[in-house]
Amino acid sequence: MKPCALIPSRNHWTALPAIIATVRRAGLPILVIDDGSDEPAASALAALHDPDAGVTVTRLPVNQGKGVAVATGFRLAAASGFTHAVQIDADGQHDLDALPRLLAAAEADPDALVSGAPLYDDSIPTGRKIGRWITHLWVFVETLSFRISDSMCGFRVYPLAACLALLDREPVGRRMDFDTDIMVRLFWRGIAPVMVPVKVTYPPGNLSNFAIVADNLRISWMHTRLVTAMLWRLPTILLHRPPRPAAHWAGLGERGALWGLALVAAAYRLLGRRACAAAIAPIVLYFYLSGTEQRRASLDYLGRVLGRPARFADGFRHFRDFAGRALDAFAAWSGAIPPAAMEIATPETLAEAAATRRGALLVVSHHGNAELSRALMDPDLRARLTILVHTSHAENYNRLLARHHGDAPSRTIQVAEIGPDTAILLRERIEQGEWVAIAGDRVPVLSHGRVSRVPFLGAMAEFSHGPWLLAALLDCPVYLLFCRRIGDGRWSLSLEPFAQRIVLPRGRRTEALTEPAARYAARLEAECRAAPTQWYNFFSFWAGKTDR
Amino acid sequence: MELELKRLIVSSLNLEDVSPEEIVSDEPLFGDGGLGLDSIDALELGVALRKTYGIRIETVSDEVRRHFASVAALAAFITEQKEARS
Repeated sequence: MKPCALIPSRNHWTALPAIIATVRRAGLPILVIDDGSDEPAASALAALHDPDAGVTVTRLPVNQGKGVAVATGFRLAAASGFTHAVQIDADGQHDLDALPRLLAAAEADPDALVSGAPLYDDSIPTGRKIGRWITHLWVFVETLSFRISDSMCGFRVYPLAACLALLDREPVGRRMDFDTDIMVRLFWRGIAPVMVPVKVTYPPGNLSNFAIVADNLRISWMHTRLVTAMLWRLPTILLHRPPRPAAHWAGLGERGALWGLALVAAAYRLLGRRACAAAIAPIVLYFYLSGTEQRRASLDYLGRVLGRPARFADGFRHFRDFAGRALDAFAAWSGAIPPAAMEIATPETLAEAAATRRGALLVVSHHGNAELSRALMDPDLRARLTILVHTSHAENYNRLLARHHGDAPSRTIQVAEIGPDTAILLRERIEQGEWVAIAGDRVPVLSHGRVSRVPFLGAMAEFSHGPWLLAALLDCPVYLLFCRRIGDGRWSLSLEPFAQRIVLPRGRRTEALTEPAARYAARLEAECRAAPTQWYNFFSFWAGKTDR
Repeated sequence: MELELKRLIVSSLNLEDVSPEEIVSDEPLFGDGGLGLDSIDALELGVALRKTYGIRIETVSDEVRRHFASVAALAAFITEQKEARS
């Protein structure tokens, strides 16, 4: 990979010296495209031209729009032998600290379009925020996917060959519609979007070149064009859908976007759960129809738990409950569900566990809504909780929750495997009386690929050794936690003692790890039978592959 | 140093039927032959080494496994880590 930086500018120059200095420190040559700026910007931009220092300024004599400026830059960069161009806005709104992360992502996946996904601070004007939401919605429809979580961030690493091939063949927006337009069209051609979170600030006194009326009209027209093109070219577009990075569940992504849930939480408060569930039914139906892999896994599971072939409607209910779970969790975090909505099925165990200052391992599952119990639990107890998550996605989710919720919704640690450092960290937390939570029904995270095949819903299935290995390392009591929905807006929480400690005698370790795995699977099975549509593992659980 | 390590191995892994003096420095710790430790022992040992010598081991990677091959290799690794830090 041979990248350069590409900075289109129309009348922005004050932030440029700082941007150039930072980018040069990162070792990238820079192309500045002056998109017909007026004075004094034109002279200031021209003065930056310094090929010996790696900065080339090219001026378009007449203003032609951001899209044309960037496309011009692509051609110049490719002609100079670069393979990738990092687009950076000239007004200084991008946090350049993220540059190494963007470049690393492009290095890891050189065929992809690596794009910043902005985390805005409070300086974003409300009008822009609403406009962004509308565009997000359109892009989801246009790509029939949630993978482009932001299409308007101009902080990107473009793979030049694919971009030039596209620009030669298709009309791409020439002005402010460019960023979204090219991203959607690249997606249609199988260029995967890789989203990297970046901070974005609207600099005070920033002179935006975004013309509210003209550019919004232009963007509406672009979406009309894109939707029409999408419908017209549907078969080829579906054929070229970019492959997902991995088929493992961690790569499937938890489907559903956070901004939508924020909106839903407000509706939940105003209209109630039932109305919200009805409102999202079309979205659920869409995912049910489009998520072939997940639908197949759902029907397979339901057939096993119901003891009869699962019908189309069963699967839809399963998907609906899954969407409802996210809905409920978000509503709970925003305070729309009172703590009294949670019945405690095991009050003695909970009181006892809360009273002792001893740490414990909580093994949860993807059945029901463990998240909800976290949202509704006593803040003192929540403060004692550390959650082990497997994906950066879950960590991002938690960070957003923290911003949304005010106080920290408890700590998370992202771990793929338990090494000595993690073990020591967790052991210290347990010694301080903390609770460490981990899900027991996902394979094969945290277990170095170690699994036991145990009976689950009438067939052998693989369950990870991870939780039990961890329990042995932490040398602490183990509890199981289940939280299932028992009615409209009512839940039941069950905290159950599982083992005082787990020991792994040398020579009999596999047996010592299989015993708790089998006992857990049996308990989970009972929970699944009690509420079949509330177990949310939408991947092929009985596939018997450990390498996924 | 090697004897100290052997004592640590015996105490941290609860090796009941082995005394520190019986461990041969060049013999493999893991797998068949020698002590026959497994990956869970490696993890426990990593934790003990971290606590005793303060060396940082993030995951039990292949590289780490090489250092864990025998008591002699482990002693060399710890000495090297200590020098790197001082």
